[in-house]
Amino acid sequence: MNEPSPPAIDVQVRVVATTEVAEAFFQTRLQVPDTTIRPGQFVQLRPRSQQSVYPFLRIPLSVAAVDVQQQTIDVLYEQVGPKTTALRHIAAGDEVGFLGPLGNHFPMPDPGADPVAVPVLVGGGIGVPPLIYFGTSLRSHGHEPILLVGARSANKHLPDRLLEPASADVRRASDDGTLGHAGFVTGLLQKALDEPLSSPIVYTCGPHGMMAAVARLCAEREVPCFASLEEYMACGFGVCVGCVVERANKESLPSPYGHYARVCLDGPIFDARQIVW
Amino acid sequence: MTDLRTNFAGIELRNPVLLASGTCGYGEELAPFLDLSRLGGIVTKTITPEPRAGNAPPRIVETAAGMLNSIGLQNPGLQGFIVDKWPYLAALDTKIIVNIAAPTAALHAEMAARLDDVEGIAGIEVNISSPNMKDGGMLFGCSPTASNEVIAAVRAATRLPVIAKLTPNVTDIAAIARAVVDGGADGIAMINTLLGMAVDWRTRKPILGNITGGLSGPAIKPVALALLWKVHQAVDVPIMGLGGITSAEDALEFLVTGATAVQVGTATFIEPGGAADIVAGIESHCAAAGISRVGELVGTLGV
Ligand SMILES: Cc1cc2nc3c(=O)[nH]c(=O)nc-3n(C[C@H](O)[C@H](O)[C@H](O)COP(=O)(O)OP(=O)(O)OC[C@H]3O[C@@H](n4cnc5c(N)ncnc54)[C@H](O)[C@@H]3O)c2cc1C
Ligand SMILES: Cc1cc2nc3c(=O)[nH]c(=O)nc-3n(C[C@H](O)[C@H](O)[C@H](O)COP(=O)(O)O)c2cc1C
Ligand code: FES
Repeated sequence: MNEPSPPAIDVQVRVVATTEVAEAFFQTRLQVPDTTIRPGQFVQLRPRSQQSVYPFLRIPLSVAAVDVQQQTIDVLYEQVGPKTTALRHIAAGDEVGFLGPLGNHFPMPDPGADPVAVPVLVGGGIGVPPLIYFGTSLRSHGHEPILLVGARSANKHLPDRLLEPASADVRRASDDGTLGHAGFVTGLLQKALDEPLSSPIVYTCGPHGMMAAVARLCAEREVPCFASLEEYMACGFGVCVGCVVERANKESLPSPYGHYARVCLDGPIFDARQIVW
Repeated sequence: MTDLRTNFAGIELRNPVLLASGTCGYGEELAPFLDLSRLGGIVTKTITPEPRAGNAPPRIVETAAGMLNSIGLQNPGLQGFIVDKWPYLAALDTKIIVNIAAPTAALHAEMAARLDDVEGIAGIEVNISSPNMKDGGMLFGCSPTASNEVIAAVRAATRLPVIAKLTPNVTDIAAIARAVVDGGADGIAMINTLLGMAVDWRTRKPILGNITGGLSGPAIKPVALALLWKVHQAVDVPIMGLGGITSAEDALEFLVTGATAVQVGTATFIEPGGAADIVAGIESHCAAAGISRVGELVGTLGV
């Protein structure tokens, strides 16, 4: 999208610290040789030694924060299975395999537009982390993004201190009504889009069903929408063709070879109108 | 210093380590992580006569010490390969083996004849072993007669070395190996993936969109070694061994068991630069063991 993505590196990096930031939600800070990473890009970590075979594949995680001075990045993840469990148990000072940054990045709103679009970031569950880094970057470019965050319940919500750098206007929803709007984050989006915003542009990352609903709401109102997809990945750099999503405009493509796009290399960020939900 | 140069069915390899079909694309995406000129060669993702979209996702899932895939041969087709992918490959300083599959023996032969006209291809690997192709692949590779027909048709259509890639999903792999050698195969590559499946009992659904897929990775290495051992005893053509190789030691085990060269597959997904480390590891292990030519190891298993 706007600018080319920086080249990926394949190195061992050190874990600075891992902390629990919400129930079963962890933040791991990594000391990295290069912090040139664009918002929306992800990394493939190998939380085991090269000699071991468990867990076997790497774990794809979005970059949630970058500290250029300290040369660190943060990943934020929910412990859901073997790979996330292995990662959270790596002791501070120990190493983890790092491959990245990978994939494309969120396109910035057009600064020349009149009026300049208001970014509305819509995140659910494990989809919130890339929006934190993107929101932070938007603000440093003079935008004032609105951040809508959904989670199952209050104890699954990331704390204010992690979201504040990304937005001065954070609105929360929880499925069980224990924090903020009772219901899905799409309810918050509906309200936000009904406000007299000059011209919204939506960026979303979260569970598939949530993003599909966001994409539908945006399509109905002709609001531009970019979605960051999460598919099961093996390589993360385009060779296995395992992480695919179906393209919407298949009929116009010259060959069926292009019917499925790779989330890792052609994405993870897609214009929501260009894929089949 | 150990001499790693290897002649495989007339193909002069810098060393006996290649990248396996479907795990290195058409080279380009790997280049940022791996100096391809350090390898013996690469085997392209399977191409078919016409472009294919591949199977519906999910296409991959991790399993114990490995993974399942049901990619379904998403590829640009023969013409798309020659126009869009070959120019990049042709410029690489390594041997390129093109892997093909088709629904009939005659279509295999047509592909081979077209590739025969392309300057610079080192050999053709015939995928009669894909578990993810409903109109070919394993359909041929499970029958000695059908395997023989496909390989004979390809052999007659090209001057290039022809390598038959075998499936482990058969009762008697030695019979298939003899059938492809009778058909004129100059070499054998083995093994392709083992048919496998993963299930979510809560949703009571298979995990892969295609229901079944192919198992690869360290989990299959013992199976690959046992089958290699059988085939090495059954035929005289050189064999490329693969299946679960992740280290130089793994590669050396295949050489000793009877492989003239090896292919690194799934391991590349986790360590994109790993194949070059395997080359370096083979060299240092051989040097330490006082082996002057890597070929001295091939088929030296004492039983
Ligand atoms: C580009 C990308 C960025 C990601 N960023 C983040 C992030 O910032 N924070 C975070 O917590 N997670 C993120 N994920 C998801 C994360 O990679 C998976 O949760 C993780 O791989 C699970 O591994 P596991 O072994 O712990 O669990 P598994 O046992 O592999 O899975 C546990 C559960 O999670 C589901 N799951 C597994 N892989 C994925 C996946 N790729 N996407 C969605 N669900 C999955 C499984 O279906 C299963 O229900 C991202 C995924 C991708 C592809
Ligand atoms: C994602 C994936 C895609 C594959 N695609 C092909 C293919 O197109 N053609 C083929 O002959 N083999 C294909 N294979 C099989 C590999 O080349 C190899 O035979 C198998 O994976 C066993 O080796 P490994 O355990 O080292 O991966 C594929 C394997 C994987 C994991
Ligand atoms: S994960 Fe291998 S192509 Fe995307």
